[in-house]
Amino acid sequence: MKPATALSPWRDPVVLLAVPALLYLVLLYALPLLWLLAKSFVGPDGLTLRPYVDFFADPFNWRVVWNTLGIALWVTLVCLVIGYPAAFALARAGAALQIAMLVAIILPLSVGVVVKSFAWQIVLRRDGVISQFLVGIGLWDEPQRLLFTETGLVLGAANIFLPFMILPIYSVVKLIDPRLLEAGATLGAAPLYRFVKIMLPLTLPGVVSGVAFVFSMSVSMYVIPSLLIGDRFQTLSTLTGRSFLFMRNEQLGSTTAVILLALAVGVVVGSSWLARRLGSST
Amino acid sequence: MVHLQPSFLDVAGAEKSFGAATVLGGVDLGVAQGEFVSLLGPSGCGKTTLLRIVAGLLGVDRGTVKLDGKDITALPPHRRDVGVVFQNYALFPHLTVAENVAFGLKAHRRSATEIREAVKRFLELVHLSDFADRSVRALSGGQQQRVAVARALAVRPKLLLLDEPFSALDRKLREAMQIDLRRLLRELGTTSVFVTHDQEEALTMSDRIAVMNRGAIEQLDTPEAIYRRPATAFALEFVGLSSRLAGTSLGTENGLVHVETAFGRLVAPGSFIKGAPVLLAVRPERIKVDAPGDFALTARLRDAVFQGSKVQLHFETRAGDQLMVETADLPQGVPAPGTEMKLGWAVADTLLYPAP
Repeated sequence: MKPATALSPWRDPVVLLAVPALLYLVLLYALPLLWLLAKSFVGPDGLTLRPYVDFFADPFNWRVVWNTLGIALWVTLVCLVIGYPAAFALARAGAALQIAMLVAIILPLSVGVVVKSFAWQIVLRRDGVISQFLVGIGLWDEPQRLLFTETGLVLGAANIFLPFMILPIYSVVKLIDPRLLEAGATLGAAPLYRFVKIMLPLTLPGVVSGVAFVFSMSVSMYVIPSLLIGDRFQTLSTLTGRSFLFMRNEQLGSTTAVILLALAVGVVVGSSWLARRLGSST
Repeated sequence: MVHLQPSFLDVAGAEKSFGAATVLGGVDLGVAQGEFVSLLGPSGCGKTTLLRIVAGLLGVDRGTVKLDGKDITALPPHRRDVGVVFQNYALFPHLTVAENVAFGLKAHRRSATEIREAVKRFLELVHLSDFADRSVRALSGGQQQRVAVARALAVRPKLLLLDEPFSALDRKLREAMQIDLRRLLRELGTTSVFVTHDQEEALTMSDRIAVMNRGAIEQLDTPEAIYRRPATAFALEFVGLSSRLAGTSLGTENGLVHVETAFGRLVAPGSFIKGAPVLLAVRPERIKVDAPGDFALTARLRDAVFQGSKVQLHFETRAGDQLMVETADLPQGVPAPGTEMKLGWAVADTLLYPAP
């Protein structure tokens, strides 16, 4: 339900406060980006879709798109499965524990991605902690290398992006009255029913923003795959980087960048639309 | 209390502590089928804890809860058949009014037809039929409270618990809704336990009131009996107004205790040994001005408060004592402060307690 506003946004002078941010973003970010992306649509004879036709004609490029989407989906899924219960624990913890947990979640964000990726290289090695642990509990017969595998990439990336899943869900859970679940219970609803019919729809907005954050960051990550899996596994990001940095092919670079942008925006917008539809129909 | 027939709700020896703090110290409570019982007491007296224990939202350390002959002490809340109207209503914000009312019915897997009919009926009962498809967020406090009542009643629980459901409403609305809710529950024959700290609310609505203090029920009786014969000094103080004089027993004779007070020797029914410190009390409307009852005393008026249908007279006393009279009958008009007045009352109206 939309609250009635006295002033239309155009007449409200408070809107003027956004002008510096708007100027900054438009002049220094949006315009250069548009100019860069526009290059993919300009050929020697004017406007063209040739680069896109060429791109999708090559099966290797399909592989790259699939790699990009697959890794991003896995990272998002792992973050969601780990982050959702963690957000509940965080929101329902006592004050002191909550602060400790928030620090533990937020502080690692100040460590650069490069440093964390190198740290994961150590963890994922054949003699790394994960390998030793899995051998130790008997799940693996002998040490294996996770570094430079897709599993290793998903593990490392999910760790780095996890806070961006936990925090939006936490901020929503914190606002949910715990008595709603009690009310559900006194109306005869069993625990699973209460979760599905009360908690899930109410946390959906947090899940949607967490998924949007993590997916858009992991679909476009560059440093992490470079360090954890290397050149043999190309994503749209690494391909874009190679096109600009090594191949000096600006048109290919801007083409892959546009495709990446379209995919990321498409998945994020599409999934939140779907989630809202599902949410309103329960 | 002696129950001749087994109670519909039967709480026996309920104990609950949080850490070192004992919140309930072995509470017994029996509620008959169709009865409306209030748990009345100050905040922290354990009334909400007792309600949550009956609902199954909190476990007991010791004791049992039986409902309709069945021991439900160990049952989780969703298998108890006990409805709750929460203090903040706890309506589901993502659902409409009708969906809120339908929630319990759906959880019980009732048929679509049955759900539709029950939702219609209960929204009619709380006069919210026109609001069925509204979001609960768009409702006023009073309307939200009615949705909460309809939602809890729609599944036809064996027992309805109400946790201060009127506390967020303004006075006028509250009084109208108290009468409405009482009538609705009586028509449906719903057994109800109502938690409140508001004595007027408890007196208005209840068949019986349990006056609670420090994790124990001090008195469980009809509103009239609690008002006329408070069992303890706490019940006297918490329900209604009273004149209270500290005194010392001079001994008991023929069921009457002679008490030495700041206003001289007074007499009250009871039994106290000589020398025991006592508290003597009278309800203010039982004291007559210039028309002595069984005995009379003289007091100097400190303050007169005009309250429309009656006048409240406060008299000068020793610190700790309180002497007040409520009367509708002052032929000479409201007297000026400082006036000496003769007050009297019947021995039978005098209440006597051990000094608190």
